[in-house]
Amino acid sequence: MSISFSMLKLDPGHAFGVNGRMQKDTGDEARIIEQYDFAQEDLNEVDVLIIPNFIDQEFLYRQQEKIAAFLAKKKIVVYCGHLFREWLPGCGPFMPQLIRNYKDYEVFPTEQSVIFEGVTTADMTFKKGVAGFFARGYHHAPAHAEVLLTFANGKPVTYVDRCSTNGTILVHAGRDLLGYADENKSTDLIRPQFLAWLEAEVQALKEDGEQ
Amino acid sequence: MRKIGVIYSGNESHYRTFHEPKFNQYITKLIYHPDFLETDIEDLDVLIVPSQLNYKLLLASETKIHAFAEKGGIIVAFGPQPWNWLPAQKWEERPTNFWWWLDKEASSGLVLQNPTHPLFNDYLTLAECTWHQHGVFWPPEHSDILISTEDGGAVMYVDSQSSEGTWIITTLDPDFHFGSYFMPATERFFEGFFPYLAYGTI
Repeated sequence: MSISFSMLKLDPGHAFGVNGRMQKDTGDEARIIEQYDFAQEDLNEVDVLIIPNFIDQEFLYRQQEKIAAFLAKKKIVVYCGHLFREWLPGCGPFMPQLIRNYKDYEVFPTEQSVIFEGVTTADMTFKKGVAGFFARGYHHAPAHAEVLLTFANGKPVTYVDRCSTNGTILVHAGRDLLGYADENKSTDLIRPQFLAWLEAEVQALKEDGEQ
Repeated sequence: MRKIGVIYSGNESHYRTFHEPKFNQYITKLIYHPDFLETDIEDLDVLIVPSQLNYKLLLASETKIHAFAEKGGIIVAFGPQPWNWLPAQKWEERPTNFWWWLDKEASSGLVLQNPTHPLFNDYLTLAECTWHQHGVFWPPEHSDILISTEDGGAVMYVDSQSSEGTWIITTLDPDFHFGSYFMPATERFFEGFFPYLAYGTI
């Protein structure tokens, strides 16, 4: 898939990242740099910054001003993981979902979600009959956030925040959304729909900036 | 109690696992990986090298870790190791069967090779070491294989001859799974393994 915007992804350099061992991002849309090189990286030409789980959050906490400055320029930050240091504006720490029954792992798209449109709860919740691969907790979504995906108890698994900064923040309490592909399930829709959403969001931020 | 140090990557699963009070109380030093080379580890008895560390920092740490072993230290290594840094390392990556227990006549494929080893005396059972593996090691001949796959690949082994110290090496990665709220067996693993490292016969 070709895209009309510039995406930068940070690589934690961990064992599961080798050859997409755990979860493969099948595309080459994003330029990938090693996480600790982020401190020196020039972000002027970058529209979207993708931060996966396994990232060193102690390091990112020290980079919070750079991340805030990036967002102040009407850019997009996507974070997929469990946040435990407050390096991302508006995002509170991760809370594990209270699990009494496997159904507590079920995730439901909201009406606002184009990224998860047509993706079934069953396909997100189960992998070969095992529940919980998709998300095991949530973050506090700031007021005015657009919630895309929730657990049955309403806790937000995925949200979009266009109010905390000039830019857009997408927080997903699971794995890299670009990694959902080639499983012959409705979750295969996530990757192309997410890229299309990013494209539209980049465009909207640019148009907003020109007004 | 032995003094245990842990290398900490700053990632979300390590944060949870090594800050959990019932495990953290066994940890004398939690060493942020970027600070490892500047950190004094001579007072430690045990150094835990968890899974999923940043490969550049891990390879830069190799000499210091081996020097710790040469001074008689105990080193514990968790998880898949696609980068060579262990003594005589022979790692074989294998597809992971996350769903083995759903099969008919389910078998994890794990074999307890040395049931009389002190680790399995009051500390751990095979069930507490059983979730899934990401590969096996083919360790040096002199190693003591504690847990293997059915074809003899080592899932956990002890190498006390490659250095003056002791290497406890396992393809299991409880630090990742407990830390990401996944696989309840990994919590029971640490409930046995930390006390073993602190007090057991190694």
